[in-house]
Amino acid sequence: MEGQTMLFHEIYGTYYQVVSAILSEAVDRTLTRKRLNDLVQELAFGESNLTIPAKLQQEKWQLLRKDYTTPIQRTPSMPLTLLEKRWLKALLQDPRIALFDVDDAGLEDVEPLYNPTDIAVADQAADGDPWTDPAYIAHFRTALQAVREQRPLHVKYRAANGHWQRWTAVPSNLEYSPKDDKFRLLIPGRTLNMARILECALADPEAPLSPPTKRPEGRSVTFLLKDQRNALERVLLHFSHLEKETVQLEEDLYRCTLRYRAEDETEMVIRILSFGPMLQVTDPPAFLDKIRDRLQRQRALGVPETHETS
Amino acid sequence: MAYQELIKDFQNTRETMRSFLVYGLKTRTGFAGKSARTYDDERRRIASWLGEYMCWRQDQDGRKVFLSVDSRQIPHNPLYQAFRACSFTDRDITLHFLLLDLLDVEEGHTSGELLDAIEDRYLADFQDPLHLDESTLRKKLKEYEALGLAVSEKAGRTVLYRRAPDTGVDLGRWRDAVSFFSEASPLGVVGSFLLQRLGNPDQPFRFKHHYILHALDSDILCTLLDAIRRHRAVELTLPSWKSDSANTQQVFPVRILWNIQTGRQYLLAVKPRESRLRAIRADNVQDVQVLEEEPRWRERKAAAEEQAQHLWGVSTNGWPALEHIACTVRVQPGQEYILQRLERERRCGKVEAVDPLTRLFTADVYGAEELIPWLRSFLGSIQSLECSNPQVERTFWNDFAALEALYGGTDHALS
Repeated sequence: MEGQTMLFHEIYGTYYQVVSAILSEAVDRTLTRKRLNDLVQELAFGESNLTIPAKLQQEKWQLLRKDYTTPIQRTPSMPLTLLEKRWLKALLQDPRIALFDVDDAGLEDVEPLYNPTDIAVADQAADGDPWTDPAYIAHFRTALQAVREQRPLHVKYRAANGHWQRWTAVPSNLEYSPKDDKFRLLIPGRTLNMARILECALADPEAPLSPPTKRPEGRSVTFLLKDQRNALERVLLHFSHLEKETVQLEEDLYRCTLRYRAEDETEMVIRILSFGPMLQVTDPPAFLDKIRDRLQRQRALGVPETHETS
Repeated sequence: MAYQELIKDFQNTRETMRSFLVYGLKTRTGFAGKSARTYDDERRRIASWLGEYMCWRQDQDGRKVFLSVDSRQIPHNPLYQAFRACSFTDRDITLHFLLLDLLDVEEGHTSGELLDAIEDRYLADFQDPLHLDESTLRKKLKEYEALGLAVSEKAGRTVLYRRAPDTGVDLGRWRDAVSFFSEASPLGVVGSFLLQRLGNPDQPFRFKHHYILHALDSDILCTLLDAIRRHRAVELTLPSWKSDSANTQQVFPVRILWNIQTGRQYLLAVKPRESRLRAIRADNVQDVQVLEEEPRWRERKAAAEEQAQHLWGVSTNGWPALEHIACTVRVQPGQEYILQRLERERRCGKVEAVDPLTRLFTADVYGAEELIPWLRSFLGSIQSLECSNPQVERTFWNDFAALEALYGGTDHALS
């Protein structure tokens, strides 16, 4: 049925949501003019206050009487749409759903919106987290509870060098990387790979916390970019998830500055190098040295004779 | 026409938002094909939806408005907001709330009964009541049936309408899963609609390497996935590279390929009388029309899947011949993490241990030139590189020479 894929539709829109909230208060007979304006200000877009109150007050949308009551009898609600149910059903086929305590109750007769085989990921790491490992799932759920409730967590962790560490900290978030297909637990000053957590338990709210480590400052790198063979779009799209500033210097020459976290510096060197001579890093000098070091190591390791140009 | 915060057609806005986010350097005059008034309206609208994420910079060429987002810091994809801005008529919104109030899960009503109730119980209070006819109402009911909000059943010669029953999905129990998958799964925008129903709870998750731009293609992707599930051919509207007008192309869609590291989504598809698999960028697709079921879908899909096993990314430039590539990577003691990365990122390639510090990577792919950017990321550790397509080796080492020139002195600098 054609309607099954209507994603851009007004029923999902902000205006409908806001009017629903307004009518809920009108049904309860608590709505006032001020409250109507406050709800629009709080829930709608930046300039919706120019439209929504006027449309209701002028009876263009015949939902609200002059005295801010409504002929609507029940608090507005909307059943789940077919699209929403089909999306939920599709999630049940994703291996990562094992992390969450959900099932197909209420979705038994619903077709999934897509099948896992309909979508392939081209460049995801081959060593993603063990989504169906019971110990991993238990650690994940405990960590998620600690994040939700902002409670301290005891963690025993195997560091990259193989040594064990213990931390007691209030985690801020769980961070997922689709490229690495891994979760990381963010605690003050530290990022812990979830798959390397050996023990994970909620701590007493009064438990003494491990001293926080200071996170390194953010860094930036600046490079020049020659826009040949659509290079500008490719580079800017590749780095579009980072804060950036791009300036056009000449017709096909651009200068771009990216901001990143210090812990990601090696990754940034690799990613910039992957663009080859399309990019030229100009600042900072320490970043330039890292690129030169790799080029020198490559020269030392060998370059075919036919390409001996240095 | 006066400025409107909502939009009817997503395509124009999709283009403008992409320009803001990707480039971040266009001025009012840099938006080709749009009048200054159209640009001003679109910029104002996007700023109204995205608020804090919009930045601007003034330089000698004018005011440059752009989106600057560290996607690691933000809990939700801000571009989903654009999908909450679909325009509607006064009648649409009035009928929406009246119908959902009136329709009952148990007792069915005819469209005539519903019309009478709307006029008598709801609209009678207003000075200039909305004029409605039964045909308009039936059309809206049919639309809501397709959306899953209403159900109908025939009783003799009449049709009775009811509100769709609550199916027993405990959305509160789904809260964390929806929070996660609204950012980490295809069509996550649907998850964002569900989060809105849950009152937009705090997001416990953050996302690294999170490309948000693909959200703008959700509507196109949704239709394509539906066609893939139902083995239907599709007609795509794509930009023409030779003229300003668009052209159409019929294809049999096989699957969506998500390139996480570039944030791009592609449709893998075959043309009606061809066997070669092609990758079409989803962000280039302007419209999709779903056609009839492909009669030979099993056979065509199997052949396409076979080809897909030999894709490094999306290129099939060498088709039908496979290109063999072999690269030896050697590291220093203490750099074993580079070998681990090789193993982790090998995709359809194989990695064999030569000795504790050396690995041989091999792959047979349709377009070996696509491996070059990835191989460059191992510069400093490449002991040898061989490819059955000699152009790949030539390009790789020529680029290395160019890099040495770039970083060896200022004589060869890009500027």
